[in-house]
Amino acid sequence: MHREKIVIAIWKGVKGFFSFWKDFLVGDSPVLALGVVVILGVAYLLRGFVFLAPVTTIGLVLALLVFTIWQKARARRQAIQH
Amino acid sequence: MIDQSLVLLFITVALASAVEATEALTILLASGITRGWRSTFEGAFLALACLAVIVVGVGTALIRYVPLDVLRTVVGMLLLIFGLQWLTKAILRQTGFKPPHDEHDIYNKEVASLSKGTGILRGQRDSLGFAVSFKGVLLEGMEVVMIVIGFGLATKSGNQLGTASLGALLGVGVMVAVAAVVAKPLAKVPENYMKLGVGCLLTLFGTFWMGEGVGVQWPFDDAFLLVLLAIIFLATLCLIAYFKRVHESGLEVAA
Repeated sequence: MHREKIVIAIWKGVKGFFSFWKDFLVGDSPVLALGVVVILGVAYLLRGFVFLAPVTTIGLVLALLVFTIWQKARARRQAIQH
Repeated sequence: MIDQSLVLLFITVALASAVEATEALTILLASGITRGWRSTFEGAFLALACLAVIVVGVGTALIRYVPLDVLRTVVGMLLLIFGLQWLTKAILRQTGFKPPHDEHDIYNKEVASLSKGTGILRGQRDSLGFAVSFKGVLLEGMEVVMIVIGFGLATKSGNQLGTASLGALLGVGVMVAVAAVVAKPLAKVPENYMKLGVGCLLTLFGTFWMGEGVGVQWPFDDAFLLVLLAIIFLATLCLIAYFKRVHESGLEVAA
């Protein structure tokens, strides 16, 4: 019984830890975190190209920002309409 | 000559800390007035001590055991995520798609919720006031801690944990002084403009360091930070202008 309580407490602690970091990093915009990982991968693949790598990285960051705002604005508008 | 990236670093950390301090102070004020100041201060000081231990402990361990390129990549990623989150929220608020952050409203809700709670009184201590202020300061401060550690360790000039911590202390100190003078929620602080500025700066450093970490060669080296800042700032202004027009004209955003 006592061991069970300890296991439950540890499980709750681990779950709380991961949910804290999930809220912290992902929050209500999972597309942002996913997009940043994609940008990282593309920047890594293009790292040898002196011109293409910086231009693509900056372009993707701005595109991610525009997409996230567009997506949220659209959701907000639809929520108001309904 | 003062390093321009260090100046930008200092300004970013100070502004980010000031924004988070404004939010934490609203919780502290509500807790102090409804549950008593002693427990509120105790909870806040314990949370600050925990945050300081995290900065020193995690910061020292990271700089000792993690290679700079890996550190820059991870820090850059985190800062980019935070920066884009802050920037998105600030732009949506600026354009009317999201209601503005209202410290008075948050304060009133906190007071109403804290007045209902009973708490366990131990001597003159109130457990609810202690827990609320501890949690409030710890959670609001965690983002600042991440920024302080990130900015303190990822700079080219080596360990700048001290400079970043000083920036954070300045930001928090100014807000605490203002709160102590006005003794009410800091509703007049231009929080959204500050968030917009910090969002631009975090996105700037996040993009720059993440790129450098994986081997992207930025033109003009560190001087490119100013060019990149101008690009991000200009893009932010364009987005605000466009989405404001969309919101005001009532046009369908969806394609």
